[in-house]
Amino acid sequence: METKDNNQPKKHIFKMLITMFKWMGHYWPLLILSFGFLYFVSYARTLLPLFGQHIIDVILTNPSEASKLPTFLANLLVSDTKMKELLLAAGMIVALAVFRALFIFLRRWSSGYFGETIAYKLRNRLYRKLQDANYYFHTHSETGDLIQRVTSDVESYKRFISDRIIEVFRLILLVGLSIWQMSKLNTDLTFISIMIAPVILAIAAYYFRKVERMFTVIENNEAKMTTHVQENVSAARVVKAFANEPHEVNKFKNLNREFTDSDYDLAKKMSVFWSVTDFISFMQFCLIAVFGIIYASRGIITIGVYTAFLAYAGNIIWPMRQLGRLVGDFSKSTVAVYRLTKIIENDGEYNDMEPNETPEIFGHVKFDHVSFKFNDSIDDQIIDVNFEVKKGSTVAIVGRTGSGKSTLMNLMVRLLDYQKGEITIDGVPIQNIEKHYLREQVGYILQEPFLFSKTVEENIGIADKNVKNDRVESVAKIAAVHEDIINFEKGYQTLVGERGVTLSGGQKQRVAIARMLLKPKPILIFDDSLSAVDTETDIQIRKALDKEWKSSTVFIVTHRITTAKEADMIIVLEDGMVKETGTHEELIKRDGMYKNIWEIQSRIDFQLEEGGE
Amino acid sequence: MNDYLHDEEEFTSRKIDWGLWKKIFSFMRPLRKYVILAISCMAVLALTDVIYPYISRFAIDDIITPNIENGTADLSKLTVFIGLYVIFMIVQATMVFLFIRFAGKIQTELAYNIRESAFNHLQELPFSYYDRTRVGWIMARMTSDSRNLSELLSWGLIDITWGLFLMAILVIFMFAINPILALVTLAVVPFMTLVSIYFRKHILKAYRSIRKVNSKITGAYNEGITGALTTKTLVLEESNFQDFDDLTSNMKNQSIRAAMIQGLYFPSMLFLITIGIALVYIVGGNYVLANIGFSVGTLYLFTNYVWQFFEPVNNVAMIYANFQQAQASAERIVSLIEVEADITDRPDVIEKYGTLFDYKLENFEDIKGAVEFENVSFKYQVGEQVLTDFNLKVEAGQSIALVGHTGAGKTTIVNLICRFYEPTQGRILVDGSDYKNRSMSWLHSNLGYVLQDPHLFSGSVMENIRYGKLSATDEEVIAAAKAVEAHEFIMKFEKGYDTECGEGGSRLSVGQKQLVSFARAILADPKILILDEATSSVDTETEKAIQVAINKLLEGRTSFIVAHRLSTIVHSDRILVLENGKVIEEGTHKQLIQKKGSYYKLYTNQYSEEMLELSLR
Repeated sequence: METKDNNQPKKHIFKMLITMFKWMGHYWPLLILSFGFLYFVSYARTLLPLFGQHIIDVILTNPSEASKLPTFLANLLVSDTKMKELLLAAGMIVALAVFRALFIFLRRWSSGYFGETIAYKLRNRLYRKLQDANYYFHTHSETGDLIQRVTSDVESYKRFISDRIIEVFRLILLVGLSIWQMSKLNTDLTFISIMIAPVILAIAAYYFRKVERMFTVIENNEAKMTTHVQENVSAARVVKAFANEPHEVNKFKNLNREFTDSDYDLAKKMSVFWSVTDFISFMQFCLIAVFGIIYASRGIITIGVYTAFLAYAGNIIWPMRQLGRLVGDFSKSTVAVYRLTKIIENDGEYNDMEPNETPEIFGHVKFDHVSFKFNDSIDDQIIDVNFEVKKGSTVAIVGRTGSGKSTLMNLMVRLLDYQKGEITIDGVPIQNIEKHYLREQVGYILQEPFLFSKTVEENIGIADKNVKNDRVESVAKIAAVHEDIINFEKGYQTLVGERGVTLSGGQKQRVAIARMLLKPKPILIFDDSLSAVDTETDIQIRKALDKEWKSSTVFIVTHRITTAKEADMIIVLEDGMVKETGTHEELIKRDGMYKNIWEIQSRIDFQLEEGGE
Repeated sequence: MNDYLHDEEEFTSRKIDWGLWKKIFSFMRPLRKYVILAISCMAVLALTDVIYPYISRFAIDDIITPNIENGTADLSKLTVFIGLYVIFMIVQATMVFLFIRFAGKIQTELAYNIRESAFNHLQELPFSYYDRTRVGWIMARMTSDSRNLSELLSWGLIDITWGLFLMAILVIFMFAINPILALVTLAVVPFMTLVSIYFRKHILKAYRSIRKVNSKITGAYNEGITGALTTKTLVLEESNFQDFDDLTSNMKNQSIRAAMIQGLYFPSMLFLITIGIALVYIVGGNYVLANIGFSVGTLYLFTNYVWQFFEPVNNVAMIYANFQQAQASAERIVSLIEVEADITDRPDVIEKYGTLFDYKLENFEDIKGAVEFENVSFKYQVGEQVLTDFNLKVEAGQSIALVGHTGAGKTTIVNLICRFYEPTQGRILVDGSDYKNRSMSWLHSNLGYVLQDPHLFSGSVMENIRYGKLSATDEEVIAAAKAVEAHEFIMKFEKGYDTECGEGGSRLSVGQKQLVSFARAILADPKILILDEATSSVDTETEKAIQVAINKLLEGRTSFIVAHRLSTIVHSDRILVLENGKVIEEGTHKQLIQKKGSYYKLYTNQYSEEMLELSLR
């Protein structure tokens, strides 16, 4: 899945390269070290043809012929008999291979260590970023897209810094050293040897760029096909109920054909590319061979030099396609980095200005003319909210969907920060309290809580890894979910989520309540967190809470009038403003919204009798 | 039910299962022609690969050496050399061109065949299969597994044939030239093979376990993102990060280890090859020195041949390892294709009404719409008995509201009427005849099914409505939309009926999706209608439109409604209150309210909240 962010301007490329380098942190010397190892590897490789030359020319043909090996090596190979010299040369070749093997291993190890360590740091950094990202970020981004970035984009960054850069460097070293060695043997032939090679490079770079577009077509066709399967499978009921199987099969056949054909088109392009470049490569070889034969026949070069040239030609010609490919899809890696910077550069919730006060909290909450608006909106969502709640009391907040109930509660744990007025807890403005500490004190239970894919027990005990079993059970009992849990086949050890049991909405909510009750909280917020629980259980939970959590201040956002009725204070919210506050008794005396709701509720019984709507 | 869910990791056998591969190879039968052609190409290619160094030997022994020895510069044989070279180039390029095409053909068509038979089979599978199989599982079979297999069976197989041909030809040539030197050279090949297999296995193993950690990391990211607010409210950042760090450092260590294993592989091979080359120089060099007709060109040839062993040995080892891995893919695909459909039409029924994909419309009887459950018992494959001796007689045109708690059996009854499942005992009669006496296509073409979470397909609104009757004209589609009051909102879209609905209808609101699915159902004009009503609330206007549409939809049809809306229930002819698969109360709304029994209790609990929501709007 390619994301829409691909249209980044080309001028970013340089900036992205700098970013790539920055992310290496202080590990970049490892890259240099890998380059160093590579140099030895490549140098050793370009020595090998010279051994062939030495053996063929000096040992086997004519002892007076010049060895092209570096003098110190050539001197080592001199002995009294040809047999001994052969053995020495063979031994040296093996020694050289061992030397080369050692450096290949070191190179692999250092670049592997380098790439993996940086990827590891980057993954952790991204994870922290995502956790610390603010409310706005999380409500405005697509999970699938983010996951794509933090997985495959990190992977392509890693591949770039640990494989591609090194591969490019390796190929350049190999080509460069080979040309250097050749030039020492014969200049004319060297020029002839590198005549056609750049053409191959250009063709490959062009081809791999071009083919990139075909990949997009193939991916799209595959996506269309898989979407069809996905829809067909998840809408199996609809398909069957309308007896549309023949239609589905036909449609799939077409999509499958389209995908298959575009995939085959790629194979066709590949067949042309590989055969043509093979042909050109061999043309280059042929050219070298022909001139080599002429030169050798005229005695300008020896047979050994001729064979060495053939070997060097291989070192130059074959890497060209690979080099072309790397050049061709170089821009892909910068796109990945560009997308990652979007996450890395995002401001999190925490910055240097973060206060560090950790006052003792008892539960006296005061909203003092609080107003709030989202970054991207013009009007305030919370307007001049003003009320005070004493420690230990229960507050119900009612209002229709979209009236600002949840936003108001989010302000209390600083998931959102208000712009005007002040919220104080026991007299301390909450913007002065350290966020983590504040959230530890104020238990906030979301309407749609998230359970981790762990066991039920681990989920409830998540805030305290050393918690005891009986503590988990006791909070589960308060949250009225104990009975449900022990009815699962594996009880508290039941795995929750994707790979485990799917809990009902009500069960999830109750598990979420239980886990919040694990540690004492001076303030508790139920953000409509009993909406999926039936009325009886709702009452049961609140009774249990009343008994065990007497001293906590409790906020309940609710749709249920029966719940609101029992609160010490009811706040009726509409369009972000407080419409009414008071107890149930006070409010039903007033001619307001609450009374209206209450009356409709009481009317229901009457209506039922009549059998009307 | 959980144990029944197919899981990714469940197939990991190690022994090669030939019976399984036979089944997979049967998909290749239609491609035999290409396989033979591709293999022939590879044989030719292998031969040219072996002959190629010969051309160099010709240059050394027949042109250069004589010239040096005689002090001449006779280049008359150069044209022969060029001619040979050009022939080689043409043959080589042509073979490369052809084999890539053939292999591409095999790969893509094989994948096509696998996907096609899997998809067609999916259409025949009964609903129970979909209930216990995750969508993701099926998707993986259709995409990555079929791709893995087809790649391996095309490119992999071709690599292997090339490798085997090459090695065989090399051996023959080497023995023909000089048996002793051939033996010396070949001495390292068994070691190369062993080293290759050893490393390939370990590399594969290492990568497999890296992939496992990687999918855990992806999972952790996913939880980190979707559970971000929960994490914040519970202040779990640090502990989550510790868990995450455990995973990533595990990943790091394993990856470095894998890099090291890989880093050892090539050097080891290099070492062995070099030993081979050293041996050739020693033994071959002595031959040259002994002046027994062993030329320098031949020596050069042999050093080349040692290198040529590297690639095929490496390929064979790699493919051997990949085959072991691909076996899991093969097992999964075969397991999908071979699931038995447990609900099928009887042969005599197929004879008369045609198959699922090709039905004989001319033999379909008209339907009135009377439905009867006769002593029906039912239990899902896993779990308890849901229905026992259930009896229900519904006249054509009646509307039945099914009411009750989750698990009371409402959905089961609906599933049975649709023949998504069949009764384990007893019969279901449609117009007085057991529905198994007619084909599933007959039943389904007379049945409408409207889901609580309506499934739309990606495509335009027009196409989605037309799904109810594929032969419908645009006018008929629009008429259907008008009938359910969907026309108005559709016309408000910029592109009207051509508006894209998005995957699963994601670009429409819940209410709009419902109306479109109503239009789809009314276009199909079924005699029996199943309505699984939505619980989700929509805005007041849409709500009104939906109410009107439902009433329209029910007109003149036998209908079964899994009801949630007050007004729908109130308007139905009969209300069945279900509990544990039994009808505990039955009657009209009025009768049941007066009774003050379970219905009354359910009603007051469940629907008072709906009233409250409505009043707050």
